[in-house]
Amino acid sequence: MKTMFRAALTGLVLAGAAGFAAQAFPIKAGQGSYSDPGITDDTIKIGLFAPLSGAALAYGEDPLNAARMWYDMINGMGGIWGRKVELVIEDDRCNANDLVAAVKKLVEQDKVFMLNGGSCSAAAVAAQEYVTRAKIPYMMLNASGDGALYPPTDYIFGAASISQRAAGGTTVDFASRHLKGKKIGYINHDDAYGAWNLETAQFTAKESGATLSVESINPNITDVTAPMLKIRAANPDVLILTTYARPATLIVKKAHELGMKMPIVLAVTGTANLKQLVENVGTKDAFKNFYVQDVINDTPTGPKQKWVIDMYKKRYPEMAAKPDHPTPYMPYGIPSAQTVTNALLLAGPNPTREGVARIMRSLTFESGVMAGLISYGETDRAGQESSIFLKFDGDKQDLQPGTYVSRWVYKP
Amino acid sequence: MPISMPAKLSAAAAALIALIVLPQLTSGYVVYLANLMLVYIILAIGLNILIGETGQFGLAHVAFYGIGIYTTAILTSRYGVPFPVAVIAGMLLAGAIGFLLGAVSFRMRDIYLALSTFAFGEAMQWVFKSWDAVTNGPNGMRIPQASLFGFRITNDHDAYYVVLAVAIVTVLVTILLMQSRLGRAFRAVRESEPAALALGVNVRRTKVIAFTLSAVYAGLAGGIFASFSSFIHPDSLGFTTTILVLTMIVVGGLGSIAGAVMGALILGLIQELLRQAPSYQEIIYGVILILFMMYAPKGVIGALKARFSRSGSAAK
Amino acid sequence: MDWQLIWLFLQQGVASGLVTGSIYALLAVAIVIIFKTTDAPNFAAGELFMAAAYVALYLLVFLALPFIAVVPLSLGVAFIAAALFYRIVLQKIGSSAAVTVNVVIATLGLSFVLKGAVRKTGVGDVPRSFPSIFGNDTITIGQAVLTLQDIGILALAVVSMTIFFLFFNFTRTGRAMRAVGMNPKAAVLVGINLRRTRMLIWGLSGLLSSLAALLIAPKILMTADMGSVVILGFAAAIIGGFTSLPGAVLGGLIIGIAENLVGLFISSRAISVAPFVAIMLVLVLRPQGLLGGKVAVKKV
Repeated sequence: MKTMFRAALTGLVLAGAAGFAAQAFPIKAGQGSYSDPGITDDTIKIGLFAPLSGAALAYGEDPLNAARMWYDMINGMGGIWGRKVELVIEDDRCNANDLVAAVKKLVEQDKVFMLNGGSCSAAAVAAQEYVTRAKIPYMMLNASGDGALYPPTDYIFGAASISQRAAGGTTVDFASRHLKGKKIGYINHDDAYGAWNLETAQFTAKESGATLSVESINPNITDVTAPMLKIRAANPDVLILTTYARPATLIVKKAHELGMKMPIVLAVTGTANLKQLVENVGTKDAFKNFYVQDVINDTPTGPKQKWVIDMYKKRYPEMAAKPDHPTPYMPYGIPSAQTVTNALLLAGPNPTREGVARIMRSLTFESGVMAGLISYGETDRAGQESSIFLKFDGDKQDLQPGTYVSRWVYKP
Repeated sequence: MPISMPAKLSAAAAALIALIVLPQLTSGYVVYLANLMLVYIILAIGLNILIGETGQFGLAHVAFYGIGIYTTAILTSRYGVPFPVAVIAGMLLAGAIGFLLGAVSFRMRDIYLALSTFAFGEAMQWVFKSWDAVTNGPNGMRIPQASLFGFRITNDHDAYYVVLAVAIVTVLVTILLMQSRLGRAFRAVRESEPAALALGVNVRRTKVIAFTLSAVYAGLAGGIFASFSSFIHPDSLGFTTTILVLTMIVVGGLGSIAGAVMGALILGLIQELLRQAPSYQEIIYGVILILFMMYAPKGVIGALKARFSRSGSAAK
Repeated sequence: MDWQLIWLFLQQGVASGLVTGSIYALLAVAIVIIFKTTDAPNFAAGELFMAAAYVALYLLVFLALPFIAVVPLSLGVAFIAAALFYRIVLQKIGSSAAVTVNVVIATLGLSFVLKGAVRKTGVGDVPRSFPSIFGNDTITIGQAVLTLQDIGILALAVVSMTIFFLFFNFTRTGRAMRAVGMNPKAAVLVGINLRRTRMLIWGLSGLLSSLAALLIAPKILMTADMGSVVILGFAAAIIGGFTSLPGAVLGGLIIGIAENLVGLFISSRAISVAPFVAIMLVLVLRPQGLLGGKVAVKKV
C-alpha cells in the first residue's frame, strides 16, 4: 500500500514539474457549463476499450482490468478535482473496423470526454484520422501503436508498455553491450510489429558496430526449420526473438534440437508465461543461455511489483483465481490510466480536451510500475521506452544490471 | 406472387424515407455503422451473383474488395486522381483480375473451385501485406479524404448519402440485370450446365462474366469503403471477411437480391450488438448460425415467402 | 550458397517437411472422409481438432490421468461429440448436395461455438502443450536432425492412415461408407442405413481429429486458434484431389516439404504463401488434383 501511494505521489510531483507550463494558461473558475462533452460538476466520462473477445482477449482483458482498478482507486480518493471518473467500456475485437465503431460510439453516442484504450496497434492506427480530426485526447491502453505515434499528432499517445521501436532497439543494445554480440541473429514477424522493431534494431546495430541476420516469419508458422537452418548457417553470436510466445517456443525448441548454443534473447512480446514456455519446450537444457526482456521495474514477482498484484487480487478475486491470472501484461494498464488521471489533474478544475492534450504532450512521471519514466515530448508520443533484462534458467529469473533506454529518436 | 405490387412499392418508399432521414435522427456512430452495412450490402449482392445466381463457389471476394480499396486509396493519394475516377479504376482492375481468375478456373467445379479461389484470396492478402512499395505493407495504408465534384467528404454524415445512393443504384441495376437474358443465363448455368448448353447458353462465357461482374461489385464496395474510412490494413482483408459475406447471403437467402440485403443487415446488426456481450459472443454467434441453418434453410427470404404463401392461401 | 550447405538444407528441409507434412496429411484425411460421403467440406474440422487437443490436455495435465487411459477417452469423446453434431444439427439440415452451403455455414457455426467455449475456460490464451509420448531426444539421419517425437508422429500418422485406407476398402462398414459417398440413393436401395452410416463417418472424422491432436499438439503447441492449421489440411486435400485418401497424404507431404524448401531457398516470408501458390498451380494444371478422379458432372 505504501509503495502504491508513493508511486502515485511521485507520479504527481514529477508530472507537476514537467507540466508546469499548464499553469501558464488561465483557469476559468466558472462552474456548470463546459465547452467539451463528457464533463459535469461531479463526473468526467472516459471511454475505456480493449479486445475483450476472440484471439486477442489475452492481450486486452487484464490491462483493461488494471486501468479500471486505477480509476476506481482515484475515485476512492475523491476523484479528480472533485469529479468521479465514469467509465464506459467497449470491446474493440482487435480489429480495425470494430475499433473505429467502438471509438465512434464512445465519442458520438456516449459523449465521453476522452479515450483510453486499444491493445492492438494496427487496429488503433485505424482510429487515428478520426481522433485527430475530432480533436479528442486519446491514450492507448497497452498497444505499442508505433504506426499512430510516428509521425506525432497532437492528440494520440501510446506505448504505455513499450513502443516496438524501443523494444527492438533495446534488445539489440543488450545483445551487443551485455552479451558482446557482433553478429546478431534476429527473428521477427512479417507484420507491422516486426517492421517497426526491425527498423530500430538495424539502427542500433549500426550504431554499435554489429551486423544483423534477419528472418521474418508469419506468426502462425507451424515449422520453423527453414528460418532456423538459415540462422544456424549465418552462425551469429546472439539470437534475438521478437515473436509471440508460440513461434518463440518453436524456435527455442528447434535451436536446442539443432544444437545451437548461442545465447537467446526473447523480447517482451513472447514472454507471456515463462513456466509454460519451459513446459512447452520440454526441457530445461534449452535454457542454459537464455535471457528475457521485460518492461516493468522488477521481476514479475519482485517487491516493486507487489502493490499492483495485491491491488488486482483485492479488486478482482474471481479473475485472480483463474489460471495464469493476472497475466504478465496486466500492469501495463496502470501507466496508461495514470497518464490520463495525471493529465486531468494538471489540467486544473475546468479541463478542456485541448488543454488535456497539451499537457499530455509534455507529461513526464514515474509510474511505480514500468522500467523507465513515462514521458512524452514535443515529437515523442511514446510513453515508455526502457527495458530491463532477466536471465532465465528454466526456474529462476535473475535481474541483469542496468536499464536499457532506447536511443532511437523520431526525426521529422 | 403472394405479395401485391403496391404493397411492395409502399414498403420500399417507407424504407427509402427512413434511410434518407436516418442521419438526422442518429449519432455519427450509427451513420458509420450504416455506411459499413451499405458496403456489406454491395459486397453481398456481388457475391450473390456468383454463388447464388450462377452457382459458382468463388471464395476470393475479399481479394477484389481489397483491390478496390487499395486502388482508390493509391490513385487519390499518390496521383491526385479524382475520387470517382479512382473508384471506377478500382472496379475495372478488380473486374480485370476477376476475369482472369474466371478464365483460369471456369473448368473447375464445386469444392475445387471453392478452394482454388480461396487460395487466390489468401495469396492476394499476402500480396497486400508484402508488397510494401505499393500497399505500404503490414503498416497499413492511410486513405485520404475523398472529394466529390469539389465537395469534400470529411465525416460519416457527408459520406452517407453518397454511399446510400451508390448502394441503391447497385440494387436497382442488379434487379434489372437479373431479369435480363444474362440473368437467365446465370440461373440456367446454376440449375444444370448440360441443360443450359442445350438452351444455347455459352456456359463458359457466362461463368467468366459472372466472375468478372462479381469482382466489379467487390471493387465498387472497396472504393465506397474508401470514401468514409481513413485507413486500411491487410489484416482485415482475410478469409474471415469473405466468409462473413458468404454467411450474409446464405442467411438472407441464396439467389435473392432482397436476401443479400437482409442478410447483410441482419448479420451486421448481430455482430455489432454482440460487441456488448464480449465473453459469450463467439458461442452466441455460432449458435445463431447453426439455428438459422436448422430452421431457415432457405434463408430469411425463403422463410418469409413460405410464411406469406401459407397465410395467402389460407385467406383464399 | 555453396553446395555443401545446399545439400544440408535439402536433407533437413525434406526430413522436417515430411514430419510436418504428415500432420497436414492426417488433417486432410479427416476432411476428405467427410467430403467423400456427405459432399460437404467440414469447416469445423480445425476446431474439432483444437477442442480434442484441449480434452486431452484436461485429462492428461489437469486430471493427471495416464496416457493409456487418456488416449481411448479423448478419442471416444471426440467420436461421440462429432457424431452427435451430425445427429442433432446436420441431419435436420439434410445432407444432399443442394444444401452443401448450409452445411458449410452450420459447421462454421460449430467452429465459433468450440472456439468460444475453449476461450471461456481461460486456458486457451497461453500456448500450451502436453508431454509427448515419445520424448524429445534427437537422432541424426545423414545430416538431418529429428526428434523421437518427429519419428513417432511420422510413423503413427502412416500407420493410422493405412488403417483407414484398409478400413474403407476392405471392411463391410467401410465399403458401405464409400457407397454412400458415391451414390446415396443406390446405397439405400441395397439396404444401407444412410443416417447411421453418415453419423458413423462424422464420429470417425472426430476420432481422427482427436488422434491428430494427440500427436501434433506437443509439436505445434495449442491455443484456442490452433484450428487455423487445418487450412493447410484443406490445401493438402485439394492438391491430392479431395476425394482420394492416398492423394490427401501425398498432398500433405508435398506441402510440408514445399514450405521448408521455399523458406530455405526463397525467403522465410514466402513460407505462408507457398501452400496457396501450390494449390493454384496444381489446380490450373490438373483441375481434379494430383490423384483425384475425373470431375464428374452432377446429376440433378
